[in-house]
Amino acid sequence: MITVTINDKEIKLEKAVTVLEAARSAGITIPTLCYHEQLERYGGCRLCLVEVEKMPRLQTACTLMVADGMVVRTETEQIADVRRGILEFLLINHPLDCPYCDKAGECTLQDLVEKYGPGKGRFKEKKRKVPESLQDPVIVRNMERCIMCTRCVRMCEGPQGASAIAVINRGGHSHIEPFSGGRFDCEYCGNCVSVCPVGAIMSRLHRHSYRPWQVKEQYETVCPYCGVGCTVITQVRDDVIKRVIPKLGSSVNNGMLCSRGRFGYEFVGDNDRLTTPLIRKNGVLAEATWEEAITLVAKKLSEIKIASGSEAIAGIASPRCTNEDNYVFQKFMRAVIGSNNIDTTARTGYAGAQSFIENIFGQGATANIISGLANSDTVMVIGGDPTTVNPILGLQIRACARRGGNVLTIGDFAGLSKFSPKKLLPGKYTETILLEAIVTALREKKGLSGSNGPLESKIKDISVTAADAAAKCGVPEQQLSAFVDLLAGAATYSLVIGKEIVQSTGGSYKLLLLAAINYLANGRIYMLTEKANEQGALDMGCAPDLLPGYRPVAFPEFAKKYGAQWHAEISEKPGLNLFAMIDAAENGSLKAMYVMGENAVCNIPNSGRVEKALKNLDFLVVQDIFLTETAKLADVVLPALAWAEKGGTFTNMERRIQLVRKSVQREGLEDWKIIAEIAKNMGYGMEYVSSEGVFHEIAKVSPLYRDLTYEDIGKGENIYPYKGEPLRDVKEDIQVDTASAVASAGKLYLQIERPLFHSGTLSTRAASLRNIYPQAVARISSATAKALSLTEGDVVNVRTKAGSLSLFVAIDKDGDSSAVAISNNFERKGAFRLADYALDQVTKAPCIDAVEISIEKVTA
Amino acid sequence: MFSSAAIQEIEDIRAKYPNARAALLPAIYVAQREFGWLPPEAYEAVADLLNVPKATVRGVATFYAMYKQKPMGRHLIQLCTNVSCMILGAERLVDLLKSAYGVEPGGVSPDGRFSLVIMECIGACGTAPAMLVNDDFHENLTEKNLQEILEKYK
Repeated sequence: MITVTINDKEIKLEKAVTVLEAARSAGITIPTLCYHEQLERYGGCRLCLVEVEKMPRLQTACTLMVADGMVVRTETEQIADVRRGILEFLLINHPLDCPYCDKAGECTLQDLVEKYGPGKGRFKEKKRKVPESLQDPVIVRNMERCIMCTRCVRMCEGPQGASAIAVINRGGHSHIEPFSGGRFDCEYCGNCVSVCPVGAIMSRLHRHSYRPWQVKEQYETVCPYCGVGCTVITQVRDDVIKRVIPKLGSSVNNGMLCSRGRFGYEFVGDNDRLTTPLIRKNGVLAEATWEEAITLVAKKLSEIKIASGSEAIAGIASPRCTNEDNYVFQKFMRAVIGSNNIDTTARTGYAGAQSFIENIFGQGATANIISGLANSDTVMVIGGDPTTVNPILGLQIRACARRGGNVLTIGDFAGLSKFSPKKLLPGKYTETILLEAIVTALREKKGLSGSNGPLESKIKDISVTAADAAAKCGVPEQQLSAFVDLLAGAATYSLVIGKEIVQSTGGSYKLLLLAAINYLANGRIYMLTEKANEQGALDMGCAPDLLPGYRPVAFPEFAKKYGAQWHAEISEKPGLNLFAMIDAAENGSLKAMYVMGENAVCNIPNSGRVEKALKNLDFLVVQDIFLTETAKLADVVLPALAWAEKGGTFTNMERRIQLVRKSVQREGLEDWKIIAEIAKNMGYGMEYVSSEGVFHEIAKVSPLYRDLTYEDIGKGENIYPYKGEPLRDVKEDIQVDTASAVASAGKLYLQIERPLFHSGTLSTRAASLRNIYPQAVARISSATAKALSLTEGDVVNVRTKAGSLSLFVAIDKDGDSSAVAISNNFERKGAFRLADYALDQVTKAPCIDAVEISIEKVTA
Repeated sequence: MFSSAAIQEIEDIRAKYPNARAALLPAIYVAQREFGWLPPEAYEAVADLLNVPKATVRGVATFYAMYKQKPMGRHLIQLCTNVSCMILGAERLVDLLKSAYGVEPGGVSPDGRFSLVIMECIGACGTAPAMLVNDDFHENLTEKNLQEILEKYK
């Protein structure tokens, strides 16, 4: 126990901390500029100087560690004098443009000068002049205001790990610049904006549009983009989100955000938002009233149900909608329509992969805490760049590397390349044999513990020598054995699996091999998830074979039990999955579809075919916030409220359930409410008063959430398995699909680019993200560019069996020379327009890694 | 891009230090020699070779006056004009450089042959005036021998 006295207050401490932290723990404020709790100590601004008895000079409280018996004073005349002096120096160059500066009102410098003075400076010289930099789409840099605390640089080099900015020049001329001197061209996380104590680095989105004190309301909510589910705070003025900031101390993201989370909120107030229902009349979508639209939907669905049966109707739920929306939707499909034809785009990877892993290791096997990655001593990454798919999870892997952990990757991931990963780069389609060799070597090193019979019986069948693998996949034996040594030596091992593995030919077999590695190295599995509530949609039973809480619909007792609670008869016949729905729509056996919050055309591979299939339906209802390319095909379009306009819950990839709070008021209906209205019109009562009411029912119906309330969720830290009962583990024999593909030399293959700045098509509705990443491009390696004599910006036609697109060329100097990478974020220009697929027989995920693509220059 | 000799040189430098950042100063110096000055490509080349962020490389380089941030002539004349050199006629040498080669302090001659930088004392007061041309040291300069010396640098 250490006892220190600060300002005559005795403070007892368990362990040695800095004087500043000790003071703060006792509620004593010491002014600081360069100190930030997320950053390394710097001791540069000298504002935290304090008097310590028996020490000759003033000491910086932020770097001085407490010692037993230390007596500290933080506010004396001498200290005030020194602080005034330091501030006077800072004001030599800092302009007095507070009336014009956006930071005024939350500026640390302004507050300190108000407290300590000086009222007037003595310097007669002119202040330095640096023009404000508006060269960047989202960040404004005003270097006259910079006080060189270097918080932004330490943030960028430290927690963010992007190292995009640095201090340039020396002494009075020094300032902060990105490499280019103008545009940042960085990861655009904006975490430098968060930590800037003055108005030197600021967001351009809300420039000159409000004052901090005009923010009357702010709400703690969950970011709408990826499966990490960062805690964000929305600051609102007059029902417009002015700013989204991260929450310090949140267990998910602790003060960090990525570009999508911080700058991607503008879609909420976008002018293109749907405002009224639309009904197709004479081939054209025309505005209609809610009453017309709802009655029409109810009437048409009832007619089709009578004429063609319940199974002629299908629904697609949404990984962007809340748990409540998804629950009500699946209940509507099951209890009102009477069909299990319900699925989501989680079927394109996450759903099948997760159930495959859970079938081996038990339910909840992928529910691992993201921050645990930073504390792992070994992290292996395969199948996607975590720093772009789930950026905040990516930061945890960078943190692991910074702490001296081993980052192992199979494949090359740009976001981790600066962190000295140990890379294995197998040739195209040879990952399987490489993984087999790793399993073989690891088994020989570690042996089998006998705790998982079905998996071990599979592991025993695998035998590939390193030499064999080296010959086939081009990874030198030595590299492979060094890699295996690191896996075998890992005390705390984590495995991060991206979608590319799941969506590859023989994906389920690769997953088995990864599970085997994970089992032998005794690790945890993280599965990257692209959308905010993919997990939640599955938990809610938006799957053709599973009821809420993963109870199989095919077990009569579950169908009966849920049916009794819903006062309806539930079919025991599993419904059509996402891909079967498209097939059925194409062949005419499916008559009607209800799509909620999903741009199905864009987000299901082979978009051209999906589009044709949906056109073939007798009746299509699309409920969305924008007139997406899917909505344009609909017979009825229902406008929904967006993420910030409604309450509810999201469940992230850790299976942490979190409250989404309403931030802005907008006229309209929540997704669940629209569906409840239609149900009522079809003669089925759904009387929920609020999303909380819906959740109340979920907690009663789904054994996963037994007795969970909004109040519990609001307190945070609701992690799987909550208070619920996961289903007993059913260890079936493990089935795999061992399909394989062979690369032909000189051929190009389609690759899905998963950019940091976009997520689905939603982010393309946010102006600032569009400014950073404006349009779809065909990304090729410099070798390919040379071979085809293409230069950056050329227009090309890319063609596959499934379709063709005309795109601009972008050249990636380190790119894979057998790949043409195209993102799937821009409507009508998405990679899925080109992606024909075969389904993995086990995970039912589409394999889209074997799409041959040709590329040719369009001559004007 | 770097010549393979320069890459080897930087790798040798790197091997002498515990981490890559520590090797930055000598490595940037090699880059400056290779490129003549430090354009963005020079920073990028050093950054790639040492696996240090390019913004950091630029930040370090801009701290020091002897790293050149703008294009230089093929040869760099660093002439001292401090007290001893000044008394013994260094300023006349500055004028001569201007009339003979068209190069002013801080500038480049129109033919791109010489850059002139005025140095603070280079420790040759006993043999003043003195100058450095690239890495070569020249002392006891006069208006006559200055041009003779410079003729060797084409």
